[in-house]
Amino acid sequence: MTGELPAALAAEYAAIFAYGPIGVRLTGAEQTAARAAEAAHRTLRDALVLTLNGTGLPPAAAAYKLPEPVVDRAAALRVAIAVEEKAGAVWRSALTATVGAQRRQALDALTGCAVRATRWRRFAKVDPITVAFPGKIPS
Amino acid sequence: MVLTDQVRGGEEQDETPNRVRRRAVLAVSAALAALAVGAAGGCGLLDREPDEPPPPDPLLPLADEAVRLAAVHRLAATDFPERAATLTPIAEAHDAHARELSRIMATPAPSPAASASAGAEAGTVEDRIEALRVAEKAGYEAAIQACLATPAHRAALVGSIAAARATHLEALK
Repeated sequence: MTGELPAALAAEYAAIFAYGPIGVRLTGAEQTAARAAEAAHRTLRDALVLTLNGTGLPPAAAAYKLPEPVVDRAAALRVAIAVEEKAGAVWRSALTATVGAQRRQALDALTGCAVRATRWRRFAKVDPITVAFPGKIPS
Repeated sequence: MVLTDQVRGGEEQDETPNRVRRRAVLAVSAALAALAVGAAGGCGLLDREPDEPPPPDPLLPLADEAVRLAAVHRLAATDFPERAATLTPIAEAHDAHARELSRIMATPAPSPAASASAGAEAGTVEDRIEALRVAEKAGYEAAIQACLATPAHRAALVGSIAAARATHLEALK
């Protein structure tokens, strides 16, 4: 076991934390999307805790540093995009350290992050809404 | 002279059954050594398939599919300019996937002209978008299987391609 899956767990804790302030700045379909995204990250967290089976589990922090203060809708959408891109990058790294069912778990998680980031870009009217290599950190 | 004669005599005397057997063993050994050298060089008589090409890279179908997907999206963007803002970045992403796959396979990038079967297509924009979604879905599922089967050092790229194809499905909604 390498450090990729514990890192993914830490990223999931951070994403769950971030969707709190994000959600309160959104309304309607965007708020619904934020709640669904938070639920998806909670599911990923729970699955990871089971996968790691109590070994090497990083504890959840009381708070996480956000890329910027979530002061309005526009900031909430930017932070949501950043949260999904960051979590996606961690899951992409986990692909290289896993095989079989664990790799499938990492791939599904990366895909979920990528699709949610696409939805947030659409809400934010970011053009284009897709990126060529989800999870890849620009060099 | 005496000595020479004696030596000759000795040689002649060595043409005994033992001497003959020794020469035969040496000849066979030399022949086997020649065959071994030839086989080690890849061109010996014992080679089964001296010109057998290496098997194709398992990621080659994924690269070919990326080229085809790029072509059909680009064609749809040309036919329906009002959707080009969505379709063109997707085509460019598939192009980038094909290039990266070719790079890690150390093979030339597939030629769009040779690989793409995207000819003139008919139908409304809705029909064409739906056809693109079907193609992306198939591509996404193929990329999942490729990611699960590929070695660790290729998994990040292939997984990223699978995720990208999933986002294309979202973008084409």
